[in-house]
Amino acid sequence: MPSEPATERVEDYFVGRFSAMGGPCSVLVDGDDRRAAEALVAIAATEARRIEHKFSRYRAGNPIDRINRAEGTPVEVDEETAHLIDYAVTCWELSGGLFDITSGVLRRLWRFDGGNKVPTRGAVEACLAFVGWGRVTWRAGTIILPAGMEIDLGGIGKEYAVDRAAGLIAAETSCSCLVNFGGDLYAGGPRRSGRTWAVGIDDPERTGRAALYKVELAGAGLATSGDARRFVRWRGKRLGHILDPRTGWPVEYAPRSITVVASTCLEAGTLSTLAYLQGAGARLFLKSQNVAFWIL
Amino acid sequence: MQLDPPTAASSIRERLSKAALALLLIPTAASTQEPAANQLDVTALLYGEQGRAQVWEPVVRASRLFGNGQALAGQLTVDVISGASPSGALPSGEVQTSTSPSGNVTTIPAGAIPLTDFSDRRVALDGEWNLPFGRFSTTTLGAHASHEKDYESAGVNGRFSVELMQKLLTLTVGGGINEDSVSPIGGTPDGLSDGTATYDRANSKRSTSLLLGMSRVLTRRWVVGLDGTRTEESGYLTEPYKLISLMDPATGVPVGQLTDKRPTTRSRSSLLASSAYHFSRDILYSSYRYYWDSWDVRSHTIDFKYRHDLEDDWYVEPHVRFYQQSAANFYVGGLVDGAPLPTFATADYRLGDLTTITVGTTFAFHVFDSPSQWTVRAEYIRQAGDSSPPGVIGVQRGFDLAPPIDTISVVFGYSLPF
Amino acid sequence: MNAVRGAVLVVLRLCFVLALPLLLAGCATVHPWDRDLLAEKWMRLNPCPQLRAIDDHIYFSKEASMGGQDVGGGGCGCN
Repeated sequence: MPSEPATERVEDYFVGRFSAMGGPCSVLVDGDDRRAAEALVAIAATEARRIEHKFSRYRAGNPIDRINRAEGTPVEVDEETAHLIDYAVTCWELSGGLFDITSGVLRRLWRFDGGNKVPTRGAVEACLAFVGWGRVTWRAGTIILPAGMEIDLGGIGKEYAVDRAAGLIAAETSCSCLVNFGGDLYAGGPRRSGRTWAVGIDDPERTGRAALYKVELAGAGLATSGDARRFVRWRGKRLGHILDPRTGWPVEYAPRSITVVASTCLEAGTLSTLAYLQGAGARLFLKSQNVAFWIL
Repeated sequence: MQLDPPTAASSIRERLSKAALALLLIPTAASTQEPAANQLDVTALLYGEQGRAQVWEPVVRASRLFGNGQALAGQLTVDVISGASPSGALPSGEVQTSTSPSGNVTTIPAGAIPLTDFSDRRVALDGEWNLPFGRFSTTTLGAHASHEKDYESAGVNGRFSVELMQKLLTLTVGGGINEDSVSPIGGTPDGLSDGTATYDRANSKRSTSLLLGMSRVLTRRWVVGLDGTRTEESGYLTEPYKLISLMDPATGVPVGQLTDKRPTTRSRSSLLASSAYHFSRDILYSSYRYYWDSWDVRSHTIDFKYRHDLEDDWYVEPHVRFYQQSAANFYVGGLVDGAPLPTFATADYRLGDLTTITVGTTFAFHVFDSPSQWTVRAEYIRQAGDSSPPGVIGVQRGFDLAPPIDTISVVFGYSLPF
Repeated sequence: MNAVRGAVLVVLRLCFVLALPLLLAGCATVHPWDRDLLAEKWMRLNPCPQLRAIDDHIYFSKEASMGGQDVGGGGCGCN
């Protein structure tokens, strides 16, 4: 069971903490009213859990589960799911097929536990038969996923939840707030003190202990992609957990950590994921996008 | 879906930014809404035979889909029937007086088909419970009860469907049992009697039916199905109000009337082949049914519907149906007075040779952006029997004993998902 | 009557001979991702059960036949 959010006072703002979407979440509220702050944290927690329940592929009965269990039959989805799939399709198109919500089945083959086991070529080949958005029929709110294929919106769900929560909070208060779900975040406008929210970018080797950079954010989203703890070692190389749907293998020569700042958390997260999928070309890709980024 | 070559990098951020905003701007209310799980359907049938029966039948159906995939539906039907139906008696050639079980007396001109006035109200309740078992099979359980002033019915039925071959083939088995009770107003007349001797107890009637069906996806556009049914009926299968004229052996002029008498068992079988074919937009439904029973009725039914898609979920669907049946082996136009009586006999035109032609069209639309849908269907039915049925003699040969009956039926439907 | 029965048997046999391979054999494989049209509600063989029930009721009261895709017909004193 998720724990109740706990709110504490830090300097001139409140920090509410709870866990959702597989990690620690926090909401920073620039204000003096504890009750109001707690209410805002609760809004964020409720929205995070709603999205987690609705889009986690591990939860029976939600739209993703229904789609993944349909065995080739059409599934009509609600409007929100349809919009998310539409967004994922845009990412698929823009990335030339690299960003693919059907590539999740490949993850069953891989153990990104820091060990050195990789799947056989045959296993990867067999699995690739069930990967590829091009095989999916998606039209008018109805999706037909060939039997054996699965979709996973995990690649955009957390960022989407951050922006949604930030939007719901902004509708309730004029206080500047920062929503941080497991490192993907959105920061509202300048605080009362005139300062902005400051976000540290951790050293991927020493998560949570050493911020290498400090980023000042006001009305912007920030997201990080990387392989901080989830990787496999193979022939002396360290392979991160993001898989290339064309080969079924982890993206090679990808940086350890890519942080991007953009107007929304979703945009930042997608850009950092797309950059990661470019492997060695990540830096070049982000430079051409004219965004602020940090590659470590 | 075709995958374009990777888009020029510089425009990716711009397009992502737009797509992200589009996604985030959907209103909260819409985004928390789950697909509608309840539905209310209201239909009303208005049915009028020229100079005969008028029917007004409202039906209200409510269904609910639960999170576990089960669905429950309940339906209330009310039938209000009034008018007249052929009594089975022959026209006189003179002015004739006919009596009806309700005591009405009608005087009708020569050559006209004697009719019996009736009015009735029928109330029926139906329930249906749909339970998916696993991912490929469904069980449906149903119950039914109906009440008329002279007829009670209660029944249960069930069916089980399983999907095979990656859902390309669906097999269905089903069965049902109905227990009915017939209590004619004024008592039950003895069969083939003058109708004066009656008894008061209710007559029971049981029917059990079995269904075997399959449907098969043949191509991306084509689904076909084959269904066979078998129904065994036993008990009181006679129509208590129907009469058979006794004709004068020389002239054919009616001299008296006998009541209807039918066997106490009937085995009915049907075989239905159906198809739905999807053109680029429109759909053609066609079906053929062959029916046969132990009373030697045989029938062929051919049905076509063509659904033409208009914009935005509106559609028109013209419909034609052709039906032809052969007579039951105990069907007669009349009996000769003084001749030995057969074991069974009926002069009910519905058990004679019969042809029915139906043409009509359905129009469905919805108003503005409402999720509800309206349906209007109008049909014209022309039914023609055997104008010179077996056994008639004398003056009766000169009459058209089964003039065509024209019927107009209109159905209004409204469905509201909520 | 025997001639009629014979004809019926021939028709039935023909139905099975023609229909069974068509229905059961794997002659047609429609890939799941080609089922967009089949997915429509209107591609069911009986897309409007409500209207169908009304029709069954009308024709049951006017004709001698019954049966098709349903079980548990009757239940009406109209025939």
